[in-house]
Amino acid sequence: MTDFSRRAVIKATGVVGATLLPVALESQEASAQAPRPTPAQPTTYLFFNAEEAAFIEAAVARLIPADDKWPGALEAAVPNYIDKQLNGAWGAGERLYRSGPWQAGTPSQGYQLPFTPAELYRTAIAAINAELKAATPFAKMTGAEQDAYLHSLEGSGKDLGGVPSSVFFATLWDSTVEGFFSDPVYGGNRDMMAWRMIGFPGAYASYYDLVDHHGTTVTRAPTSLGEDVHGHVHADTTIPAHLP
Amino acid sequence: MAERLKPVDVVTVGVGMTGGIMGKELAAAGLKVVGLERGPMRDTVPDFQSPVIHDELRFAVRKALMQDNVKEAMTFRNSADQTALPMRRWAGFLPGNGLGGALVHWNGQTYRFQPADFIYKTHLEQRYGKDFVDPELTIQDWGATYEDLEPHYDRFEYLCGTSGKAGNLKGQIQPGGNPFEGARSREYPTPPMKEPYYGALFRKGAESLGYHPFPQPASTLSQPYTNPEGLKLQQCVFCGFCERFACEHFAKASPQTIVLPAALKNPNYELRTGCQVLRVNLDSTGKKATGVAYVNAAGQEFEQPADLVLITAFALNNVRMLLNSGIGKPYDPNTGEGVVGRNYAYQTVSSATVFYDDDVNINPFMASGSSGTVIDDFSGDNFDHGPQKFIGGAYIGSIMTNGRPIEFHPTPPGTPAWGLGWKQAVARHYNHTIALTVHGSSHPTRRNYLDLDPTYKDAWGLPLLRITFEFPDNDIRMSSYVTEKAAEIGRAMGGKTVVGTPRRPPYTTTVYQTTHNTGGAIMGNDPKTSPLNRYLQCWDVPNVFVVGASAFVHNATYNPTDTVGALTYWALAAIKDQYLKSPGPLVRT
Amino acid sequence: MTCVRRANAAAVITAIAVLGLAWSAASLAQGNKRPADPKHGAVIAAQGTANVPACAQCHAFSGASDSSGAFPRIAGQSAYYLEQQMHDFTASVRANAIMSPIAKALSADDIVDVAAYYAGNSDPFPPLASADAALVKEGQQLARLGNATKGIQACNNCHGPDGAGIPPAIPYLAGQYAQYIAFELQMWKRGFRKNSPESMAVIAQQLDERAIAAVAAFYQQARDPAVSASK
Repeated sequence: MTDFSRRAVIKATGVVGATLLPVALESQEASAQAPRPTPAQPTTYLFFNAEEAAFIEAAVARLIPADDKWPGALEAAVPNYIDKQLNGAWGAGERLYRSGPWQAGTPSQGYQLPFTPAELYRTAIAAINAELKAATPFAKMTGAEQDAYLHSLEGSGKDLGGVPSSVFFATLWDSTVEGFFSDPVYGGNRDMMAWRMIGFPGAYASYYDLVDHHGTTVTRAPTSLGEDVHGHVHADTTIPAHLP
Repeated sequence: MAERLKPVDVVTVGVGMTGGIMGKELAAAGLKVVGLERGPMRDTVPDFQSPVIHDELRFAVRKALMQDNVKEAMTFRNSADQTALPMRRWAGFLPGNGLGGALVHWNGQTYRFQPADFIYKTHLEQRYGKDFVDPELTIQDWGATYEDLEPHYDRFEYLCGTSGKAGNLKGQIQPGGNPFEGARSREYPTPPMKEPYYGALFRKGAESLGYHPFPQPASTLSQPYTNPEGLKLQQCVFCGFCERFACEHFAKASPQTIVLPAALKNPNYELRTGCQVLRVNLDSTGKKATGVAYVNAAGQEFEQPADLVLITAFALNNVRMLLNSGIGKPYDPNTGEGVVGRNYAYQTVSSATVFYDDDVNINPFMASGSSGTVIDDFSGDNFDHGPQKFIGGAYIGSIMTNGRPIEFHPTPPGTPAWGLGWKQAVARHYNHTIALTVHGSSHPTRRNYLDLDPTYKDAWGLPLLRITFEFPDNDIRMSSYVTEKAAEIGRAMGGKTVVGTPRRPPYTTTVYQTTHNTGGAIMGNDPKTSPLNRYLQCWDVPNVFVVGASAFVHNATYNPTDTVGALTYWALAAIKDQYLKSPGPLVRT
Repeated sequence: MTCVRRANAAAVITAIAVLGLAWSAASLAQGNKRPADPKHGAVIAAQGTANVPACAQCHAFSGASDSSGAFPRIAGQSAYYLEQQMHDFTASVRANAIMSPIAKALSADDIVDVAAYYAGNSDPFPPLASADAALVKEGQQLARLGNATKGIQACNNCHGPDGAGIPPAIPYLAGQYAQYIAFELQMWKRGFRKNSPESMAVIAQQLDERAIAAVAAFYQQARDPAVSASK
């Protein structure tokens, strides 16, 4: 049985008085704010070719831009997210009823085109890049010009190789929001920066003790479903897979 | 060539809530039961565990637990002058798939209908006169009354362990509960859930206006509970991944947690998963079912003979099964004749959003599927409709279920749709906003109905279900009225900006509202106006019962599940006490 | 493999502590406007007060206690959780022969300060041996998936990735002493520990001796980098 006399404790820990202080407390805000910048992981595009990637990177940077407080979609690796989605089952048309005949339908009837998401992106971006080849490629426009171009895609039904531009824009916007706010295991929301921005604590969630602390401030760092006990997020989107 | 299997006493088409309860009970009564479930086997451990299940993209956005549109979709049009087109992806409503059905991924909101709902036509005529109701609405009395169903509501709530506070015990109004509810024979099995901040703020606002807030009745439980089957449920921890997700904690009433283990322990009960039932087979008279035809996951065809066929596949699939089997006369909106497919209804939901300053932390991610606070003051016929030009109503609740950011990132009017202004508004408002729910009745009309699509087919070559639906003017007027009441409450809650968003036509399948699809195989007293009698038995084919919200004559203010549970036990009682003793029509006309 | 580190590489130890670190200021003392004073907490930890012995006598000054497992590791535990336990020790929900008198003899401010001090300690988790690999594996199964036959959910659902905790309210288990974990589960199972009666007591009652030993063994070694890197 250990000797708990004060002498023994002081001897064991080398403490004299109050001079030994613990490591300075990490500022509480730091865990919720954007973390110190981590080196960007190189992205391997599996679906996008170089021209498509250039368009996507420039477009998402306008859709959710960075500012001095918080990063935007580009920093959050949203192009990587979209690339991996298009290269996977969703891009190939999982859960999409794909039989014809195809008719335009009313707005209430939703998406009625034959394109899978992969086909839709590829077709639309090819048409956009072809249209802009003679003028200025999207990635080389100024920010204001890019915004104007995106607004024109959004608002008009311009035909992009069979894809109405408004349908393409809506799909791109949905993908961007998904890539920004989904779990980082899917390749976006790098460092969970979007979750830190809004204060969403992420995948591990058990709040019985706190739900009646009305108005409490939750400042812990968010958690990914792919993180281990040390806080490393296994966000590798290629094989082999790991169980969380 | 289909392989003919050994006959059994009972076959259920689908093993979700209704099929699970029916199957367990009839096996316990000594019958040989086969439950055919088209989806996969799945159980709390290991399939519903965290953190894998807490994946918004996979389950909420990509809808991993839902019916696969590749194999089987449905078609939709607002009116018969349009061509119905496939719902190529689910959005507006989400039919489930898999063992346990939609009760695996529901929110747990557990409301009884009101006594007036079951004698709706009679009640409204008595109160407002014969000319008050818009003649376009095909409302009827149901054939069973609230008093008939009360013991079965009770039984279902005790199966689930529902958490709540009774407002009316045997006619005595109880403080803390809903004073407008129909009388209960006893208290809820477990006490109400803890009230989150969004509920408390609503409570104060509602009380200040003289309304009667009460805790939402929740089948996400407030405390551990052992149900009458001996199955143990645990306490909900407000994880914020309820609807569209399965519960890892054993805290949500689902077939896996409340009834299936009891069924599976009984050697009389056999579960077969991965089995897609194509049709109910009839004999040469067309008045007797001989069993069902199904295809298993490997594509092999079987015929399962059975004495009693229970169609328990979810409301929309139930109606489609009748149509594909040739049971009952299909409804024709032009002539008004026929009964299968008529009285299809939905739910009329809207919202009011309350934006606060950023010193008010709402923490929407701390939520369960059925926590929060509600008022019933504007539901059903709880207020005098004389001055209004509509029937029906809506409950108003502060019942947010989550803060999952892909789909929840509210911004006030005037916020740009994208760009820096959007991002800044999202950051500013995410944790300081309450979305109030206005959840209202949906009345059937002559022109809203279900039938088989003439063009589009499923992976097995069978016609898809076709839905023809638009909100009747009556329900749009109701929504406008009650949404304004909700916005008033929002202002009384101290919101800095309050935005009411009433439901407006056209009905769209592109924006999620609810998966409360009702009607199409309704119960009633007259074979000319319903395919089922008051016990949910087919008039035309007495050894077929059709159990689900398809039986609803109209959809009342409330979520359907509790009433589906009550009707399940009601039909079960008729089967056990009457039908099995003397098979044949239970109601003579 | 792409591992995205959540915290700065220069502060590995801090990163580990951050996981167990709740906030210090906005905790149970929500109504208490006085901010926590971890330096004062260190003094109490080292010297005690007029009425209580030094926490360090049992928990060590670092909060790592010792590997006997008789006293829990409290270094890096959520301050909110430590405060809550001290509060519970003063009530009958967690009557404890050693801690109850201590908790009662400390002022509310002292408790906040000591909790803040220990919560801020970023002492490394030493690798702790586990004799029985099969037992650890069983514990891992329970921690990550639960048990279907007994109707037990995965411990990680509430206790975080392999027991890292979900601050502020849910404590870390990873790196906690097996003997202590097992002891507390027994306390819930037998009704002696009554805080969290509706979750931990219910779960503990479903665990048999082997399961208790298994989860304890698993969580004790869960922070060993050599172990958890090899999934």
